[in-house]
Amino acid sequence: MSGFGRIAGILIGTVALGLAAAGPALAQSDVKGEITVWSWNVAATALKSVVPDFNKAYPNVKVTVEDLGNQPVYDRGLAGCSAGGVNMPDVYSVENHESSVFWARFPDCFLDLKSVDAKEADLLAKFPKFKLTELTVGDKIYAMPWDSGPAVVFYRRDMYEAAGVDPAKIVTWDDFIAAGKAVQAKAGPDVKFVSNNTDSISTTWFRILANQAGCAYFDETGENVTVNQPGCVQALETVKKISDADLFLSAGWDGSLQAIKANRLASSVYGAWYEGSVRGNAPELSGKWGVFQLPAFAAGGNRAANIGGSSLAIPASSKNPQAALAFINFALGRPDSQITQLKASGLVPTLPEAINDPYIQQPQPYWGGQKVWEVVLATLSQIKPARGTQYFAEADGIADGILLAYMKGNGKSAKETLDEAAEQISAATGLPVAE
Amino acid sequence: MMLRTIGSRRRWGSWLLTGGLAPVALLWLAPLYLMGVFATLPDYAIFSPDLPLTPGGNFLENLAFLDGTANFGRAMLNSIGIATVSAALSLLLTSMAGYAFARFKFIGKQVAFSLLVATLTVPYAVLIVPQYVLVARDLALSNTWIAVIVPPLCHSIGVLFMRQTFLSLPQELLDAARIDGAREGRIFFSIALPLVRPSMAALAIILFLASWNNYLWPLLVATESGARTAPVALGSLIGLNVVPWGALMVGATLLTLPMIVVFIFLQRYFVAGITAGAVK
Amino acid sequence: MGTATRAGIQAPRTRGASAAVPLDIRGGWRRRRHALAPYWFLLPYFLVFAVFWCWPIIDSALLSLQNTRVNPWDWNIAINWRRLLIDRAFHAALGNTLTIMAIQVPVMLTLATLLAVALNSPLLKLRPIYRFAFFAPVVVSDAAYSAVFRVLFNGQFGAVNHAFAALGLPTVEWLQDPNAMLSTVMVAMTWRWTGYNAIILLAGLQSIPRDLYEAAAIDGATPFDRFFRITLPLLKPILVFCLVLSVIGTTQLFTEPWLITDRGGPGGGAETLGTYLYKQGFVSMNFGYAAAIAYTIAGMAAVLAALNLVFTRGKQA
Repeated sequence: MSGFGRIAGILIGTVALGLAAAGPALAQSDVKGEITVWSWNVAATALKSVVPDFNKAYPNVKVTVEDLGNQPVYDRGLAGCSAGGVNMPDVYSVENHESSVFWARFPDCFLDLKSVDAKEADLLAKFPKFKLTELTVGDKIYAMPWDSGPAVVFYRRDMYEAAGVDPAKIVTWDDFIAAGKAVQAKAGPDVKFVSNNTDSISTTWFRILANQAGCAYFDETGENVTVNQPGCVQALETVKKISDADLFLSAGWDGSLQAIKANRLASSVYGAWYEGSVRGNAPELSGKWGVFQLPAFAAGGNRAANIGGSSLAIPASSKNPQAALAFINFALGRPDSQITQLKASGLVPTLPEAINDPYIQQPQPYWGGQKVWEVVLATLSQIKPARGTQYFAEADGIADGILLAYMKGNGKSAKETLDEAAEQISAATGLPVAE
Repeated sequence: MMLRTIGSRRRWGSWLLTGGLAPVALLWLAPLYLMGVFATLPDYAIFSPDLPLTPGGNFLENLAFLDGTANFGRAMLNSIGIATVSAALSLLLTSMAGYAFARFKFIGKQVAFSLLVATLTVPYAVLIVPQYVLVARDLALSNTWIAVIVPPLCHSIGVLFMRQTFLSLPQELLDAARIDGAREGRIFFSIALPLVRPSMAALAIILFLASWNNYLWPLLVATESGARTAPVALGSLIGLNVVPWGALMVGATLLTLPMIVVFIFLQRYFVAGITAGAVK
Repeated sequence: MGTATRAGIQAPRTRGASAAVPLDIRGGWRRRRHALAPYWFLLPYFLVFAVFWCWPIIDSALLSLQNTRVNPWDWNIAINWRRLLIDRAFHAALGNTLTIMAIQVPVMLTLATLLAVALNSPLLKLRPIYRFAFFAPVVVSDAAYSAVFRVLFNGQFGAVNHAFAALGLPTVEWLQDPNAMLSTVMVAMTWRWTGYNAIILLAGLQSIPRDLYEAAAIDGATPFDRFFRITLPLLKPILVFCLVLSVIGTTQLFTEPWLITDRGGPGGGAETLGTYLYKQGFVSMNFGYAAAIAYTIAGMAAVLAALNLVFTRGKQA
């Protein structure tokens, strides 16, 4: 750590503690300064939509939300922390499954939220326990939970209807495949049933289905490699079946949205936060889209999975931790703000009070009048938690190559493929493979 | 009569060669041409089912987006400034070192020279991690011009090139100046350097180009949008979730066009610099 | 090459003294200053050199012997080097890099040689235009042309697939299919560097005396003969130089695969040693392992360069 950075960090931390211990919280108009917020895409849009309300309550804080892109925010956060906590914003967005590497590798890079304001613990206690697990190390809570990513199927009503497919009848993945063949047959060669969401990494589908089956790269303690457990094997086999049925459009984030706009994609399986992207990217298709829950592996099985979900943290190098915390509390700790963000970008709130807001019950015109948020939130309670651990990025990268080879058809079985992945991840991380 | 036959065969061969090379040349020019065309089109036109081959009218719009999103204007200024300072400094350092090796005998000359040659083949990969740890972490110099300029200053090939150049200077000229009482520094700057101007020009251009195009190092140490160089700013657009292709092509064009113009006018020096290492 | 223009400079008043005689006869301190002069000239360069080259070379070696994934770093001599032996992803990256070297480099050098011969031929018209077409890519920034090729090779909407479709060929997922990704990178690199190598080879060609060809023509040699018996052998040193340069450059290739295929592409189809090093060093922040990879690259480059020199020197008459 650079000497100066360290001293500055200690000074700020001391002042913050002093302020917190000094008595009643500062009056809202006393909180002032300029803060920079790093986020990406629709998440950034959501935060920007909260700023006007925030400024009514805190008129002396200037908030700049920067949309840097998902990967760059992660990369630059790591780079900044590894350089001793330099070039960091005041508020940092981080995806939960990717966050552990920060807390484990750079424990001094972010502030314990409770140290900025002693009353913070009360607010944090309102969030569901499983959301806080990944953000807590020992006694310190490094970030506040923001949104979660319950996965659903977004679909084109008109394309399904034209093929005679009723989404209510799609109960299992086999049903899904049959529906896909029907839709593609009817719509012609230019249309693909669903995107495989492959950008620089191809594991998104696998992770969604694995989570659905209660399996992940690591177990809940984060101390064993579990990617070759039966749940994951089933998930991988299912993805292969969909691929073999030639239902995938091979495209990433950008390509998928382009295809949607060009009427070349009939569905997408993604986190609920994708809602804002679809709606914002192709407003002209309003009324033509709908959602339904993930098909189960077998009739009656689990239809819930989580992909994504982020939190907001405060780097220790921030010059205005008070203002930063005020913004975080305002944006995430109030049901009103969470609903504002839901309306702006489709970010699913995790604050229990927000879930009871009447807006959740409203029909959404873009989605053909469907109460999409009801559908989405109904799955929340069945989502199985998954731990990312500090090795998530590496495990994901290792799995990516091995899984892709399997998908291309290399003659190995899903079990063999995942055994290999487990072995490699174990070798790279030093964690043992679970029995 | 024999001459006429040879002449017509030559002419025939001439047209064959010239014509045969044409499609290859067109293929080679295609990426640059399309880059320019795409820079003038809106994003949806770039991705339309028909390939657009003629320019459109969206250049300014794309340019505005480019500057707004990636702060490209500032990045270009950074690039120009950094490349100029970099080339000048590096030129100075390598010239001085080359001059020392060429025109002096001194203790340790063999050792220093061997060190230089030995490190010629060391790949940049070996240096980059420690350089980053040193500059970004230990010295905390991220996002400064110093951090971007200084570490890549050393070009051993440049030293060898300048040494070669200085070796061919007439000794009498320098000796005469010494006899007249001139200090070594003055001899170098007033007499030796002016004599090797063409070589310096060639080296300067190569150094400028190398700094202008450098991607990896600035990517690591100049991360803030106001401190970035143009290639890094351009690369940041590729990282966005929704890639602004039109703006991206504008950036690519702006990055390339100046160097192409310089190339057209100073081709001689480019060629001299590039061939320097090979033809001893 | 670099020239000192003797023309136009007045002949100095010289005493015909030889270069070795010290000429400052005015006193000891002058002589000492003269003796120190070379050190002053060397100092700036070697200062930067010591800090940013010598130290990093040593530090990389030291880093590779440490476990940099714990806080604070711990000495552990084998941890990174042993991992190299079993790391499947590293082997894949190594394989990709060697593939590029085995295919792209020879193809590019062949094209460059043919191009240089064509440009050197007195039969060629419109020479400036051709020179521009093939040499211009040299000045294009890595980032810029990577972006352009990313657009051109886009699977859905790229120009290349348009052309393929127009010719009746099946379209290829250039940026998503593991097999195609490497080809895309190789095509881009060939486009960029053929001209560069052609410039060097052209200079070499121009230094071959014309009368050699004329003598051969009189003896009845065909153009074929002339090329293989005269041109190539005389071009060999320069070809070797280009070869070594290309090989060293390929071992640490980073920017093109990184930007054209989005960080090495899904499944690491275009993962090279360079991109893998970057990911380990600056994404996973595992500096020790990255340093070990870097030294592997260095070792490989040295071995391959030496092999090249040995192979080609052996065949020389």
